[in-house]
Amino acid sequence: MKTLEAILEQCRTSPPNILDTLLAVQGTFNYVPSSALPEIARALKATEADVVGVLTYYPELRTHPPGRHLIRVCTGESCVANHCGRLTEALAEELRIGMGATTPDGRFTLEKVYCVGNCAVGPSVMIDEDVHGRVAPGDIGALLASYK
Amino acid sequence: MSATRLYLSNDTSSKAAGTDRLARAWENRPVVALARTSARGAFFLEPMVERDMPQGRMAWPQAKPDDLTRILAGEGGTPVEQIAFLAQQTRVTFANFGVTRPLSPEDYVAHGGGAGLDRARGMSPDGILDALKRSQLRGRGGAAFPVWTKWRIAKETPADRKYVVANADEGDAGTYCDRMLMEGEPFRLIEGMLICALAIGAERGYIYCRQEYPAAARALQAAIAEAEQSGMLDCRGKTFKLEVFVGAGSYVCGEETALIASLEGRRGVVRAKPPYPAVAGLYGRPTVVSNVLTFATVPSILAKGGDWYASLGTERSRGTIPLQIGGRVKQPGLVEIPFGATLEDVLHRFGGGMAPGATLKAVQVGGPLGSLFPASKLNIPICYDAFADAGAILGHGGIVVFDDETDMVELARHFMAFTADESCGVCTPCRIGSVRAREVLDRIRNGRGLPDDLALLADLSETMKTASLCALGARAPYPVLTAIEHWGTEFRRGAGG
Repeated sequence: MKTLEAILEQCRTSPPNILDTLLAVQGTFNYVPSSALPEIARALKATEADVVGVLTYYPELRTHPPGRHLIRVCTGESCVANHCGRLTEALAEELRIGMGATTPDGRFTLEKVYCVGNCAVGPSVMIDEDVHGRVAPGDIGALLASYK
Repeated sequence: MSATRLYLSNDTSSKAAGTDRLARAWENRPVVALARTSARGAFFLEPMVERDMPQGRMAWPQAKPDDLTRILAGEGGTPVEQIAFLAQQTRVTFANFGVTRPLSPEDYVAHGGGAGLDRARGMSPDGILDALKRSQLRGRGGAAFPVWTKWRIAKETPADRKYVVANADEGDAGTYCDRMLMEGEPFRLIEGMLICALAIGAERGYIYCRQEYPAAARALQAAIAEAEQSGMLDCRGKTFKLEVFVGAGSYVCGEETALIASLEGRRGVVRAKPPYPAVAGLYGRPTVVSNVLTFATVPSILAKGGDWYASLGTERSRGTIPLQIGGRVKQPGLVEIPFGATLEDVLHRFGGGMAPGATLKAVQVGGPLGSLFPASKLNIPICYDAFADAGAILGHGGIVVFDDETDMVELARHFMAFTADESCGVCTPCRIGSVRAREVLDRIRNGRGLPDDLALLADLSETMKTASLCALGARAPYPVLTAIEHWGTEFRRGAGG
């Protein structure tokens, strides 16, 4: 795994780009540890407030480590029209966690996403980078089984 | 005996429908040579297998692994040109979809790719602008601003550097044509951006791609590397530097000033205009920010001429529009047709009516900020003027059909909750108005609305519409107000009225 120092070395662009840097840090650690913030700010010649401002603005930047697999239920209008609410309920029931939470064994984090662009093959569930379409509540057990 | 070439789409939605499952089942069969193509857009037929036969391209829709024997025997296929959903379209920007392999420059060139760029290289910047002016192309991201005017302003503003930025933050739910373009014909987007660079004198470009589209970002990166090697990126003696920048899940970053702030690495918040990005955009330099679909339309205009493009469509909406049909219809998919057909006709002729057992209740056009239409109001021509007259928007061409199990109060609440979540927070009407409106709709949904709640919603909406800084706040009331207008009894039931 790359060290924070090595990541920051690669991110020394002119002018510095806070979002790009935070995405690079998250790319390695799966989240942005708060302990890394002073070093990130120093490397980018920005204030910690600037860095935290960007970090907390973007929904996909994480301040806590997610589970091994990220499940995102699409709640875009086309999936809403295809009654994705039933899917959300079934997933929460299967995993016994609420939206935004991670299972105690660290296997899954459950989130909503606003449209994965699979509107013609919905309702959609994105697990890591895989988009699954036409997902029925009854399919969920088999679907999750392939993500260890 | 040589292997039979079978075509399978490699598009994210085709894979979600099962093309990868077929590919895995057949990849080790020596009798099969798989070619992974872009998607035709007829997603209701996916997973669809195609092969070349003496009588032309044949298709086997909704194929299963066991169907291989009859496909190899040539039994039971449908000629692609007889698929009504496809045959009735006028494909310009999506002409090669389903035919070419996305990352093959040879396929791209063999099907007309690069012709627009070749023409542009032999023209002056003003000549390129003139072709666009004649085409009357308007921005396809939603705002419908004349493209040539934006490019002219960027060209005529003096600066040491200029930028070309493709807005690939396709955030409107119900739309997926940009995703298809980036995954299916990335060279087309690159070509359109290069033509823009030639016209305005830019040496750098960025594609701001949303985080939810990992396959699109990968396809673009591979295509850019290929284009760099082949010399396609040569721009008046220099190499046009083009990069993909992946966003981080913010809807409002699809607004051009927020997108620029995000590209600079800052919080993606909206700023007041003017100055417009064409005058002072990325790092304060003249920047053309256009939607992926807009750039992808440009190569055809340069190749075939602005007058040809303008000959399609209606008086003030020239050319074609790729509509994206989703929700509870029988045949969801991408439909590229000239402007002017009615919404009803499109839903009937292409959508194929409702999914089995479903009854139409509402249709939303133009994403989460678009107005809702009841069944009685679908006789509206799909063009910018008719929609503007109706207080509606075409947006990015998304059409979502809701069935009669939809609770309109719940849906209205969903829209306002979305705006409250995604508001960048810079202007008060959007930041506070969306939260207050969501609270009112929460009350109504829970049957605890107050007698004047609907009047309060109307009042809040008026403030948001007139005083918000960008379209997120200004358009957010429309789906809610049109829901109240057409399904008022559902709201009054919960509003103590």
